[in-house]
Amino acid sequence: MGKAKLISELTNLLAIALRHRIGSIVNKEEIYVQKYAKDALILINEAKKLAIQKNWNFQDKHEIKKQLKLKLQKELEEKTFINNKKFELMDNEIEKVLKEISLN
Amino acid sequence: MPEFIHQISKGSRYNQIYIPKEMEEMFEIGDTIKVILLKKKTFIYYSKNLKLGEFKKNLIKKVFQLLASFPEIKQVFIVGSFLVKKTDYKDIDILIVYNKKINEEKIQDFLTEKITLNFHILAIEEKSFNSLVKICPLTRSTLYYFVSNRKFVLPEESIFDKNHINFLLMMPYDLLKINAGSRTFYDNIRRLTTIQRFLEKKPLNPEEIDAELEKNLGNFLFSLIKNNESIDEKIIKKLRNLIKLKLQTISKLIKWEKQN
Repeated sequence: MGKAKLISELTNLLAIALRHRIGSIVNKEEIYVQKYAKDALILINEAKKLAIQKNWNFQDKHEIKKQLKLKLQKELEEKTFINNKKFELMDNEIEKVLKEISLN
Repeated sequence: MPEFIHQISKGSRYNQIYIPKEMEEMFEIGDTIKVILLKKKTFIYYSKNLKLGEFKKNLIKKVFQLLASFPEIKQVFIVGSFLVKKTDYKDIDILIVYNKKINEEKIQDFLTEKITLNFHILAIEEKSFNSLVKICPLTRSTLYYFVSNRKFVLPEESIFDKNHINFLLMMPYDLLKINAGSRTFYDNIRRLTTIQRFLEKKPLNPEEIDAELEKNLGNFLFSLIKNNESIDEKIIKKLRNLIKLKLQTISKLIKWEKQN
């Protein structure tokens, strides 16, 4: 798989993972918050498998961050049932997840 | 100093402790005494259709006694497979309803240290709990069987909350396009079955939900994904088709709920 396609797939997966993670943070009144956080973790682990397939340079990492931010924004806008605090958490959660998969 | 051990009894205005007849002269009107709680009385309340053997009953009593030392805990529920399976349970699920935020990890470690068994603590604030027992299919199914330290009756009437249901449907929708382990498919098909039954106003008995799931998937596939065994593309396609079908049915039921 070429780098461009891999970046696209990786950011698709991470955007969904972060939507779950942010959902689990803002919907704290749920009993199953741990379960939803686990859903996010499952997806992040899938993303890790993609991330280790290539060596990423500074520009690639910049592109990943840019695409992820756009896709996550769209994901969160579509899910109107997640509390609006979700947008405040975006940047911090992006930084955190990229660090987790060594793409910061 | 003279002492006696007695139980507190119910009075018409105040609960009371009687001084034993033979000690009347030692404990006189006007004397100053100190009352210390030696052993907390534990009550056990069961959901309907649930009977437990002595071993499980004593274990639960012990858990309730230990948790009585946390004043921030309002109510404790023992739920999950420990109640209904003979031996096939990994841990003991405890649902804690609290007034003031509790440290779940601390309580889990405390219980594991006192009773060398695995516990899984789910904690929720009283206000949220009171709402979830009406709107959440998963919570209602979890509480189908319970043992509690306080009286509890699951509200018969459930409330349809579209946002809540959509939140629960997020992962099943995602599984149509992303890869995950087979157990994730099991958990989410089970989640869908529970949501569908909730919308159809069917009982949310976990055993009936499992039976329905086994019927949908067949014995072999059911056991394969429940045990998180590896699955090939052909099976993933089959599972995705089942998810799609259930999502379509749920979507119709949601539309119907909105109209009524």
